[in-house]
Amino acid sequence: MATTIASINITSTDLLSDSLSLSAIATLTQTGTNTGITMTTGLAKAKVTSTAKGTASGQVTLYTADDYAAIAYLFVKNLATTAGHKIYIYDDTTSGDPIQFQLDAGDFAFIPMHGDKTYKAYSPGGNDPHVEFMVLGQDQ
Amino acid sequence: MATTATLTLASADIAGDPVSVSKTATLTKAGSTNDLDQSIGLNRVHLRSTTQKTLLAANAEGDNLAAKVYIVNKSDDASLYITVAINAQTTGKLYGGDFMLIPWSQTDTSASIKVAATNWTSSTGDIPVEYALFHEDTDFLTNA
Repeated sequence: MATTIASINITSTDLLSDSLSLSAIATLTQTGTNTGITMTTGLAKAKVTSTAKGTASGQVTLYTADDYAAIAYLFVKNLATTAGHKIYIYDDTTSGDPIQFQLDAGDFAFIPMHGDKTYKAYSPGGNDPHVEFMVLGQDQ
Repeated sequence: MATTATLTLASADIAGDPVSVSKTATLTKAGSTNDLDQSIGLNRVHLRSTTQKTLLAANAEGDNLAAKVYIVNKSDDASLYITVAINAQTTGKLYGGDFMLIPWSQTDTSASIKVAATNWTSSTGDIPVEYALFHEDTDFLTNA
């Protein structure tokens, strides 16, 4: 059993009239247990060249549905440094390919996923930003 | 005025070599380098509903505005989970102790963030959930 820790800190000294400091630490475990996850894709980096979710190429697959057992943890970051160079993450499994969220330059997301949907990335602005991503979980 | 989020993923034994990933993002307004300047603060609710309840109500006019949502399941029970749905699509499933941070796109009023304690029963006890929203333009975002 491996031990993998995810932690987050959200801080600001001037957003509010008092300092803000939110933090959470999670040990990443297999579904509903205290047993640690043992699989990871490793940290990957890819160029997002597709400008639409309907096109045949250039989209980057971040996670393939049911590749891991639930829960799979997705980390994804837009490496662009120019504001407005967005990356859209969409659900390629559900009808209509609904967009899950948009990452502006420098943004990241961390999500414990249900694991049954394929997530892909495209960039509508045609700026070819790079995306960095990693999935952690447990094999089926 | 800067708000930053730092995520760290670390394991000494999940792979052949140690894994240590640490990333920081400065939370900014949409398409700019100006910092987000508003927050609803850290909220806490005790979830006992197996059906979806609105945690954050969307307004379509917020579609092109930046918003970042942090949600954490504060339950100590590893088997108790909450589902997080946007536009009726399950985006996250947080077991006890799990957290998520995502940018929130309010594509329309259906994009409200809803949560449910799907496996809650009267004997499991409530699931404490904490959440915070960092955003721009308070006129377009309402805390449900």
